[in-house]
Amino acid sequence: MKKLLLSMLMILMTLSLVACKAEEPVAEVKDVTLKVWGSQEDQSMLSGMIEEFKAANPGTNWTIELGVVGEPDARTRYLEDPEAAADVFAFPNDQVMDLVSAGALYEVTINKAAIVAANIQSAVDSATVGGKLYGYPMTADNGYFMYYDKSVFSEEDVKSLDKMLEVAQAAGRKVFMDVSNGWYIASFFIGAGNKFEMVNGKQVLDFNNATGVKVGEAIKAFTAHPAFLTGDDNVLKAGLGSTVAAGVSGTWNANDISTILGANYGATKLPEYTLGGVATQMGSFAGFKLMGVNSLTEFPEEAMALAEFLTNEANQVKRFEVRKLGPANKNAAQNASVLADVALSALAKQAPYAMSQNSVAGTYWGPAEAFGLALENKDYTKSIQEMLDALVAQAGN
Amino acid sequence: MIKNMKSRERFSNGIIYTVLSFLSFIWLLPIAWLVLVSFRAEPGAYTDYIFPKTYTLDNYIKLFTDTKLFNYPRWFMNTLIVAVVTCAVSTIIVLLTSYALSRLRFKLRKPMMNVALVLGMFPGFMSMIAVYHILKAFNLTQSLFALVLVYSGGAALGYYISKGFFDTIPKSIDESAMLDGASKNTIFWKITLPLSKPIVIYTILTSFIAPWMDFIFVSVIMKDNYANYTVALGLFQMLSRENIYQYFTRFAAGAVLIAIPITLLFIYMQKYYISGVTGGSVKG
Amino acid sequence: MQSTQKFKNLLNKVSSQISMFFKGFAEGNIITKGSYIVMGLGQFLRGQIFKGVMYLATQILFFYFMITSGVSNIIGLKDLGSKMQERVWNEARGIFVVVKGDNSMLMLLFGVATIFIIIGFIITYIMSVHGSIQNEKIILSGKKPNNLRKDIELYLNDKYHVTVLTLPVILTFLFTIVPLVFMILIAFTNFDRNHQPPGNLFTWVGFENFSAVLWNDPLKSKTFIDLLVWTLIWAVLATGLNYIFGMVLALMINKKGIKIKKFWRTIFVVTIAVPQFVSLLLMSQLLADLGTLNVILREFGFIETFLPFLSNPTWAKVTVIIVNLWVGVPYSMLITSGILMNIPTDLYESAKIDGANAWVQFWKITLPYMLFVTGPYLITQFIGNINNFNVIYLLTRGGPLSLDYFQAGKTDLLVTWLYKLTVNEQNYSFASTIGIFIFLISAFFSLIVFNKTASTQKEEDFQ
Repeated sequence: MKKLLLSMLMILMTLSLVACKAEEPVAEVKDVTLKVWGSQEDQSMLSGMIEEFKAANPGTNWTIELGVVGEPDARTRYLEDPEAAADVFAFPNDQVMDLVSAGALYEVTINKAAIVAANIQSAVDSATVGGKLYGYPMTADNGYFMYYDKSVFSEEDVKSLDKMLEVAQAAGRKVFMDVSNGWYIASFFIGAGNKFEMVNGKQVLDFNNATGVKVGEAIKAFTAHPAFLTGDDNVLKAGLGSTVAAGVSGTWNANDISTILGANYGATKLPEYTLGGVATQMGSFAGFKLMGVNSLTEFPEEAMALAEFLTNEANQVKRFEVRKLGPANKNAAQNASVLADVALSALAKQAPYAMSQNSVAGTYWGPAEAFGLALENKDYTKSIQEMLDALVAQAGN
Repeated sequence: MIKNMKSRERFSNGIIYTVLSFLSFIWLLPIAWLVLVSFRAEPGAYTDYIFPKTYTLDNYIKLFTDTKLFNYPRWFMNTLIVAVVTCAVSTIIVLLTSYALSRLRFKLRKPMMNVALVLGMFPGFMSMIAVYHILKAFNLTQSLFALVLVYSGGAALGYYISKGFFDTIPKSIDESAMLDGASKNTIFWKITLPLSKPIVIYTILTSFIAPWMDFIFVSVIMKDNYANYTVALGLFQMLSRENIYQYFTRFAAGAVLIAIPITLLFIYMQKYYISGVTGGSVKG
Repeated sequence: MQSTQKFKNLLNKVSSQISMFFKGFAEGNIITKGSYIVMGLGQFLRGQIFKGVMYLATQILFFYFMITSGVSNIIGLKDLGSKMQERVWNEARGIFVVVKGDNSMLMLLFGVATIFIIIGFIITYIMSVHGSIQNEKIILSGKKPNNLRKDIELYLNDKYHVTVLTLPVILTFLFTIVPLVFMILIAFTNFDRNHQPPGNLFTWVGFENFSAVLWNDPLKSKTFIDLLVWTLIWAVLATGLNYIFGMVLALMINKKGIKIKKFWRTIFVVTIAVPQFVSLLLMSQLLADLGTLNVILREFGFIETFLPFLSNPTWAKVTVIIVNLWVGVPYSMLITSGILMNIPTDLYESAKIDGANAWVQFWKITLPYMLFVTGPYLITQFIGNINNFNVIYLLTRGGPLSLDYFQAGKTDLLVTWLYKLTVNEQNYSFASTIGIFIFLISAFFSLIVFNKTASTQKEEDFQ
């Protein structure tokens, strides 16, 4: 017995000595935990991309969680509890100002030059505040343009708003535009050259100057035309193919509208409208989706790397293939299938006339809607000048 | 004479039946439309016709099979669980509170009633954020348990209906019971409650309904925990501008299904709805 | 004056409690004196072990809480944070490292919560001391203090209100009162879009917001007054009409000789079984200018062009009230039904014997009874309708929007206007300020009415 115990002891001691020797200093593997927010539709695509990211970066112990928060809700969810928010999340560019002033985003400094060079200028501009870049451009397709029924309009017809109204009326159909909506009605003012400005945190508009009044008259004529129709996306989609011949809307409806119109599916940039006798191209708002890094994240560099990966050229192309979302990356946007997409090419044609929403304050939307509504309801109790004065005053309050 | 009275009664009953039928028709009209939409095959939220061009059961089937985007079955279960638990907790809390405020006399009674009346009157939207952070301090966020707490937490403030009802039960019943040696606790469970069936049913019904309807509190508390959404919030997601065209008919189907447990509960509880009349029990 | 007398009484009560507190210490024996320092001493050294341990545990927990977070929460209340979020350039890492700052919103919230916890503790402390003094008196008079079993009996009978109300009170504090105080205090800060955490701090500004609101520009004042008038009209009509219709409906169904009562009631319950946002969404589709109702009316040739149910201001107001009837009548029908069934039938029988017909019976028996029982309900419904966000917002979004108003539409209630201001401008402090005004007005009215109505005056009579 004693011998057995002794020998066991010897073996144990030797083993421990060996084990000690075998313990060489191993390179420390960092444990990184990140949370990503994306919309429900993006979940499977994003988890695929995340797996690829993990594979491409094996030197770290990754734990990446995916949560469901749609882009429009990003700002609200974030501000409710910044600490519990994701490290990387997607948001639309009209939330940039609010997020930046709340100190929510990490400034993009790593690879900034490369990112700026790779993406469309307007996308980069929309993510830039005070010269600093705060987001990674992801998609560039949140603008609007004109959908039309090819069986009613020729390509020449859709270049002029007046012509469209004429053709539609003759065919007993309507031209749709949600004029009582600050987002769409701005197209007339932007095209005419009116400006949105932010001075000392307050909105400054020049809509009530001489040009603006002419714009107001043009909108009045448009809404008074018998072939004019207003409503929302639901009305447009229900009417296309039967009572509605054309309508202003954006890429989010592309799938549905192409199904409805089938072979007659057409889309192009917004037409020219008559401003005081002169044909003027309608402008529009451009919209982009960006990825941002939470300023309260524990792993800034890793989060930035992930955000950059999720928005790189390859993934933007993939995003287009899977979700039909127009890329912000220059090369991706030149991709053959992107160029062939009817809606995206219409958007691209409208792009030169589109401006970003960075200088639009939250106080603009209400008065703009009220103005459009008054014209739609043919409520002419006040003069255009008076209404525009009220609009400017309220927006700047 | 008797014939006259009877025919007069039949006449007035006839009028009432007509009015009731007319009113039921009007009331059910939107619901009928909802049901029609839920069987509609063509997509789209807005149509300028009422009766679907083609009927289908697809919307209901897809609700339960196509759960990639909208996990309806899971949400339905979530909401059912939350509703049942909330219903039980809230009902007990409210009824006990109303009983205390109605029957028992103690120093802080009147001030408490005044405070409770007034507490709900502040129109503020920051309270949800405050509640969320309070829950977070107890590590309770994003769980169904947190939801139950939130829904039951303010339950006592709705005491006034039940209390009004309890006030109409004659005190003499209580007094005769106390003479027989019953404690206040016994009186509540064995005497007061059985006499108050309509109001108990009403309380159970309304506290059961609440979790099915709310989509605001749930969105603040669940945040990104998609699997724990309740049905109302889940359905609300179907109305986003990308989804509404494809999913509106399914949305309608989902909404119709919500109405089923609530209606079933009410039908089941109807037989308890008729309470005993208190007329004779005191005279002895 | 009655109220000054009541106030004097209150002061007297408070001062006598305070003097009793100090007297207890002076006159008590060593155990009682000890219980002033160690909570629960006066209980478990005198046979009430369970109670004593509970008190002691509370004391320990409280001290632990105060040391770990309580004290810093209170200090944070003073200036709501001083460290702003910083961005520091780190050459090695190539990023502007974010250094966390204070979060003013959380500091305010937790400061308020801590104050309530402290108050709760003080109350518990006084309770333990009081109990200790009582125990001493009981022992001196030769009896024994209640043991656990006797206490349970006590709490199920004489002190039943304590047992029953403790949990609701705690829950109400947590989920209603603390958030409410938090929101009220925001009105005294400058928490708005330019002061949004986590990047910014906000701080106390005293009554600045209130003076800004009162000195308003004419557009804001006009909007406030117009909306206030409409809100009150809406609340009166909504509450009154819902109540009357509900009662009439309940009476009809409840009448003797009407068959299948359950069936009729179930039909109306089905309409509340569908979530409100679904039914209101449907309604807004149904009644839209190009909506289904208009389409049907045109197809049947009743009208030429569409009826502006929701787009014309006056029409919209009427539509909203009628739709609210659809939503609310089933509820009021259920409540009034339940109460109707509980009216003692012998009241009706003796009235019939006295020769009263149905109409008189209604006026002299049914109506007073109903008004008595549902008095508080009506008040709360009225106030609830003043703040009825759902119906208005889901149906019309407060529209049609008007340039006559500041960021508001013709069917906006004060509360939906508040919501728009909050969401568009993120001006939380302004919203809270207006909220306080609404709150004061509503509370003032309802307290007066509540305490004066028959419900409370004749409470004892009825029972």
